[in-house]
Amino acid sequence: MILGLSIVLMLVSLLLIMLVLLHKGKGGGLSDLFGGGVTSSLGGSSVVERNLDRLTIVSGSVWIVCVVALGLLIQRG
Amino acid sequence: MLGAFVRAFRTPDLRNKLLFTLFILTIYRLGSVIPAPGVDSVAIKQCLQNVQSGDAAGVYSLINLFSGGALLQLAIFGLGIMPYITASIILNLLTVVIPRLETLKKEGQAGQTKITQYTRYLTLALAVLQSTSIIAMARTGQLFQGACPPSSYLPDDGIVTLVTMVFVMTAGTCVIMWFGELITERGVGNGMSLLIFTTIISAFPSGMMRIWTEQSQWVFAIICVAALFLIAGVVFIEQAQRRIPVQYAKRMVGRRMYGGSSTYIPLKVNQAGVIPVIFASSLLYLPTLVVGLMGPESTSPVVTFLNTYFDPMGTHPVYMTTFFALIVGFAFFYVAITFNPTEVADNMKKYGGFIPSIRPGRPTAEYLDFVLTRLTTPGALYLGLIALLPMVALGSSGASANFPFGGVSILIMVGVGLDTVKQIESHLQQRNYEGFLR
Repeated sequence: MILGLSIVLMLVSLLLIMLVLLHKGKGGGLSDLFGGGVTSSLGGSSVVERNLDRLTIVSGSVWIVCVVALGLLIQRG
Repeated sequence: MLGAFVRAFRTPDLRNKLLFTLFILTIYRLGSVIPAPGVDSVAIKQCLQNVQSGDAAGVYSLINLFSGGALLQLAIFGLGIMPYITASIILNLLTVVIPRLETLKKEGQAGQTKITQYTRYLTLALAVLQSTSIIAMARTGQLFQGACPPSSYLPDDGIVTLVTMVFVMTAGTCVIMWFGELITERGVGNGMSLLIFTTIISAFPSGMMRIWTEQSQWVFAIICVAALFLIAGVVFIEQAQRRIPVQYAKRMVGRRMYGGSSTYIPLKVNQAGVIPVIFASSLLYLPTLVVGLMGPESTSPVVTFLNTYFDPMGTHPVYMTTFFALIVGFAFFYVAITFNPTEVADNMKKYGGFIPSIRPGRPTAEYLDFVLTRLTTPGALYLGLIALLPMVALGSSGASANFPFGGVSILIMVGVGLDTVKQIESHLQQRNYEGFLR
């Protein structure tokens, strides 16, 4: 049980990392980090980005559930 | 002032942005208290308390500053945004060295996007590295410097569990990166800096409580008043700027008249922000890392040297001088890479602008360079002094590690706070004219 859940968790983690990296990086650079002035993001997000967001949220929820479940399992067992 | 808050929440799109930001920050804080699978959260909190009351507390103050205590609890968001900051610093330094990155930077928006993408890949690599080393340190018990047996907080140290923890912490870092981008895109303020801001603020209540219980009430009151004055001073200098007047010549393009306006170039006293302080702290963290790797009890001359002069409690004069010199140096360096007088002068010349009584072109660039250098000198000294202040004032009593008003945290707090308020204000001004700041 623990082993299976661990493997699932690793796979979901990989998926999550992939999905985040697929997003278009917004607001980068160190100069933006602390007091770099107001940067306005023009234009709404595209369909691709919106679907990507949805997928990321879903896999993120699965990830959290797995993390908590596995943590509880290991502590009990 | 209060009216402005009410108005901010009455404006529908601004309200949505504010609520979205708060929502993301809440999730971020929640994630920093959920332990990675395989960690006994009760036991590790006990270990944390043992260590923090011990004499090794100084080592952990900086790590805790950027992770809000989440790292030592081995939380899923334990690495925080430290990997991202480190990656940005590395790429920023590399743009000076590698010609390809420099051309990318000059390309403008498209090139910047590419550099951001590189930063994200580098963040991932650093996250894998750091989470592996943290888990390895936790397994050998070195994370708490042997003050706590690893078997108590890691009930199951099988290889599968450990690898899963590495995966989870790496994915957590990526999620944090995404959160930061989401806030920048749809919320208020810059996501990354707001996340740092939250972690620093989150250490505040416990730090204040510790002073309240350990010291007398008079000391508590004095510290509060001193902190207020310090914050006011930092705000004053952060806002200070020199306005260099620029006059644009009138010109006709087709049938329309352009230019003829007079504006100014704002040169801030502290143009570099808090970045020099962060650079310097992360560099000075290296000796601690070396000592940690070689084992603090090792008798090799390197460790002895580092332990005497670069003790992270930070009370030795050599340590403080190095810190100060690094901050001043980085301040000049960072201003030099972010503000290029020749480029500004060329741009002004192209659009028919000039500084009154100074010729356009090279004399203008020289003038800007002169003013900037003269401005940065007090700015850099101020940064160094503020960062050193708590060490000097409280170093002898050994309270600096537990002190919530460290120089770095105050600088970051004020910088990010001002920036966010300014951005909210610019949203407000689209609707009605009065904002928070006068």
